Amino acid sequence: MQSNITYSTFFEICLLLSVALPLASFIVSFAISEKYSWAVSITAPLLLLVSALSSSVVFFSLHDDQPFSIAWNWFVISGHPLTAGLLLNNLSATMLLVVTFISFLIHFYSIGYMAGDSSIRKYFAMLGLFTFSMLMIVLADNLLLLFVGWELVGFSSYMLIGHWKEKPAAARAAKKAFILNRIGDAGFLVGLMLLWTHQGSFALNQIGLTDAMAAWQTAASLCIFCGVVGKSAQFPLLTWLPDAMEGPTPVSALIHAATMVAAGVYLVIRTFALFTPIALDVVAVVGIITALIGAFAALGQYDIKKILAYSTISQLGLMVTALGAGASDAAFLHLFTHAFFKACLFLAAGAVIHALHHAQLQAHAHFDVQDVRNLGGLRKKLPVVFIVFILSGSSLAGLPFFSGFLSKDAILTALISWAGADFSWQWLVVGGAFTVTFLTVLYTFKMIWYIFFGSEKKTSELSISAPPAVMQVPLFTLALASLWIMVSWNPFVHTRWMNPAMEHSWSVTLFSIVWVIMALATAYFSREKSFYADVLFNAFYVDRLTDWMTKKIGLKVPAITITLDKKWIDGFIHATAYVQVLIAHVTGWIDRAFVDGTVNGMASFVRGVGSVTRTFQNGKIQLYIFWSIFTIIIFLIWTLL
Amino acid sequence: MHHYLISFLIFSPLVAAFVGLLIPAKSESSFRYLTLIANAFQITVLFFMLGSYENASALQFVEQQSWITIGLGTWGTLKATYFVGVDGLSFPLIILSVFIMCIATISSWTVKQNVKGYFILLLILNASIIGSFTALDFLLFYLFFEFMLLPMFFLIAIWGGPRREYASIKFFLYTLLGSIFILIVMIGLYVSVHDPSSSGTLVHTFNLLHMSEPVNFISNSILDPNNPWQIGPYNGRLWAFLLLFIGFAIKLPMVPLHTWLPDAHVEASTPISVILAALLLKIGGYGLARIAYPIFPEAALYFGWFVGLMGVISIIYGALNAMASKDLKRLIAYSSVSHMGFVLLGIASLTAEGVTGSVYQMFSHGIISAMLFLLAGVLYDRTHDRMINTYSGLSSKMKSYTTMVLIAFFASLGLPGFSGFIAEIMVFLGAFRSNSATGVLPESFAIISTLGLILGAAYYLWTLQRMFFGPFNIKGHISEDQIFDLTKREYIMLVPLAAATLCFGIFPQPMLSVIDPFARHLTEFVLTTGKNLTLNL
Repeated sequence: MQSNITYSTFFEICLLLSVALPLASFIVSFAISEKYSWAVSITAPLLLLVSALSSSVVFFSLHDDQPFSIAWNWFVISGHPLTAGLLLNNLSATMLLVVTFISFLIHFYSIGYMAGDSSIRKYFAMLGLFTFSMLMIVLADNLLLLFVGWELVGFSSYMLIGHWKEKPAAARAAKKAFILNRIGDAGFLVGLMLLWTHQGSFALNQIGLTDAMAAWQTAASLCIFCGVVGKSAQFPLLTWLPDAMEGPTPVSALIHAATMVAAGVYLVIRTFALFTPIALDVVAVVGIITALIGAFAALGQYDIKKILAYSTISQLGLMVTALGAGASDAAFLHLFTHAFFKACLFLAAGAVIHALHHAQLQAHAHFDVQDVRNLGGLRKKLPVVFIVFILSGSSLAGLPFFSGFLSKDAILTALISWAGADFSWQWLVVGGAFTVTFLTVLYTFKMIWYIFFGSEKKTSELSISAPPAVMQVPLFTLALASLWIMVSWNPFVHTRWMNPAMEHSWSVTLFSIVWVIMALATAYFSREKSFYADVLFNAFYVDRLTDWMTKKIGLKVPAITITLDKKWIDGFIHATAYVQVLIAHVTGWIDRAFVDGTVNGMASFVRGVGSVTRTFQNGKIQLYIFWSIFTIIIFLIWTLL
Repeated sequence: MHHYLISFLIFSPLVAAFVGLLIPAKSESSFRYLTLIANAFQITVLFFMLGSYENASALQFVEQQSWITIGLGTWGTLKATYFVGVDGLSFPLIILSVFIMCIATISSWTVKQNVKGYFILLLILNASIIGSFTALDFLLFYLFFEFMLLPMFFLIAIWGGPRREYASIKFFLYTLLGSIFILIVMIGLYVSVHDPSSSGTLVHTFNLLHMSEPVNFISNSILDPNNPWQIGPYNGRLWAFLLLFIGFAIKLPMVPLHTWLPDAHVEASTPISVILAALLLKIGGYGLARIAYPIFPEAALYFGWFVGLMGVISIIYGALNAMASKDLKRLIAYSSVSHMGFVLLGIASLTAEGVTGSVYQMFSHGIISAMLFLLAGVLYDRTHDRMINTYSGLSSKMKSYTTMVLIAFFASLGLPGFSGFIAEIMVFLGAFRSNSATGVLPESFAIISTLGLILGAAYYLWTLQRMFFGPFNIKGHISEDQIFDLTKREYIMLVPLAAATLCFGIFPQPMLSVIDPFARHLTEFVLTTGKNLTLNL
């Protein structure tokens, strides 16, 4: 175990607690017997609370101070020791705080949301495992350990999407999420192999120390980016995320909005030194394509959670674009703000769904509570949720005085300075990014309009009760975290808390204010208009394409190989067996006809001769005399001639 | 005491089998306990071995007794010895065998038909498996290797499923074909190698260690490295390597020599499937690393890419067939083919991490496949139906069973935290580095093999979705009360296996430090010796 000694033991204990308690929550949740399963909804949030508190200690004692690292020997690969270690710097400490804090809030919220669920133990256990593995991604000091966490979040995400396992759609969505992630992970794995071969180490602090322009680095960084494409739902592996909405809403908030999907962006920042200029260009293009697809598709959806899911895809695309432009600070800032407001939006949506669902059960009414067309005018019945939704939605839309405005501003500033003065393909990316911000405002406020304004539709008959306090506390906390104050004192300058060295330009800020107001006006005037189109609803048919391909490849090819097995390989073996039996028959016949024939022939010959000679000695004296005279005559003839 | 530990391991089941012969067939439970006692004794012996095993490349617990010595006049002397020992290759497999045989005994508890014969065959099988993993004399190895076939054949042919005769004969003939190839090479080696310790007289030996030293080859014998004599395109040694490779590849099994495996598995009863998948397949990989590679290093280098290619093909092809399988047991059998492909790929890479990963994969697959086949057996015991389409939503009726299946499936598809991940990642790293380190395999092999990971996720998760999730429903004539959760006996078998795969996945170092010296020694030996020997092409 090696560590530097500038930090106190208290700091180390807090670090240990913040990482280990989520794992403890996983184990405790399984250890508690079925009978006392209610106890889980006390222990799990409590453990996460302690974890979040200790991680805030870690964050505040480390911030703007020296990086901290601690490592244990894990195993040795042919003489190269591999460590399991934690590497804390500003970036990972911030992420640690975000993950534990939001995870705690989600745990807390889940007490209310998941109350009465039959497999509550499994639910909290998997949330604990997820948080632990996410922290592994955040803190790991080498890429192999990070990959372990990477796969484990995939597993916990699989379990949580498929939480309501009786629902066939949930099981299907869980499978799809895991497999699409695996496709990306296979690429990630190749990246690890490249690193191993060329660098002989997975340590994060060794990355990029060698010749920065080597071709293998381009290959390795693009391979790692494959993993990012899977986990952060980038084009073309984005289709699992909307389907993942089959899981419980708090899960969508934690995993499929705030943390896991952002892990891809985090990974790129963590390994940024590896990315060569060519690789970064690819990253930027993939990012902007994703952002555009997500934003347009969000416009064509009617399911609250689907709208939010596509919006997440689009925002992630924006972060990835910023990464491609080399602005990892801006990308991380957006990741940070997005984590809060998107979690808040999901929880608010969950509160709506929860409240309506309960009201529905009481009134025995049946309609799809997630379909925004069935909702409307809910601001009177659910005022708390309405306020929260407006706050976090404004942050998503990037209105001034909200954190989303500042982080988007950071990205746009960085993109413009990246594109340079002359017109090049990079300006297309910038144009795309502005389109995305415009569309974001549009779909966010259309959604808010649908749910909270206008007249009540199918909900008018229902008596809806406000969400319980355990759900309100996280909602308000996160809504407050969507304000500009999270980033900076000055609501128009983003370069304060996170990274003072970031670029800021007033002209971009002013332009984006005007741009957002235009978008807001468009949203208001088009509030009654539907943007529904088949192509948007199906997200440009990426889903159908991948489905068609997996059906073709996934079912046809195995069918071919199994017939190959049965028909050709086994056929060949059966044929040889048959030929052998045939030959055996032939040799058997030869045996009988020739070999036995010869033997039998000999026997019958001997028998024939015998039967002839037997007649010589039949006891008649006359015959004996005849034969002896005959012999003498022959003998005489013989000697005389 | 330490000098006889391996003999204790090999002969205790034989002694038990002999005792069993004297017990009347009526007292059925005494055979079960007898076998269990033998297993318990073996486990005790194993703990003694664990206590004094040192992590080094040298052979340990070596026993060498003269066995057969026949003077053949001008042809020299035939000498075979009882020569056993363990090293980093065999020790993990010995540990695996001892525990898996014990679990197989527990799993056989419900056997009703001809109990005496069954358990005596099981004991004989036990002895011959341990024997083949420890023998260091080719004749002794071959004896144990062949001896394994006999009990296995009867265990499938008598206690198997409806098509047991077809499956057992197929298994027998396939393996026998491989044995003949191995026999040919053994005779060739016997003729070509002399014992360096006996000066003056010519002593032909079966000692595997002598065979791996090129200086011990009699000049101008068939397999002498300097013999320019050729058969077709290759010289005798390259042919010998190929014959050994095919012989062991049948056992492994490698595509396209694998078709006996799904049939044998489907027809064999649960404990026999467990032994087959967890232990017998490993003899293929073991034989390559113990016999083919060290004795014919230059051929190993020459055919390395071919061995690797067949590994890649096995990985992909096995996974594709698993996807198309409708029978749960057949699916698991094909996944075994896919996973054993990693063993080939790892050995072929000739890098330390590749070979380590390959041995680790054998060990880990032993644990995981045992678990998978036990789980398939649990369902079959209840309903006598293994078809995936028969079931849906089982998780609501069999909670603990579903948990175990989840663990086994995810362990098998290589989720980190389980032993399979460590093995596969090391094989991948080794196979990829092979090109720059040893030049045996191109990088593309490792890259294409990652497809196996995706397919692995696909067929396991698809199976989970079809059988365990969704609303509960069973087709056919199965009544609902036939479906019940795990029994205590099933827990006793499954929980240790689950714990083991988890333990070796999180803390791989103890087992890796057993394997690592062997892997380094083998790769170094094959590379240096192989490059020194000239290829006569």
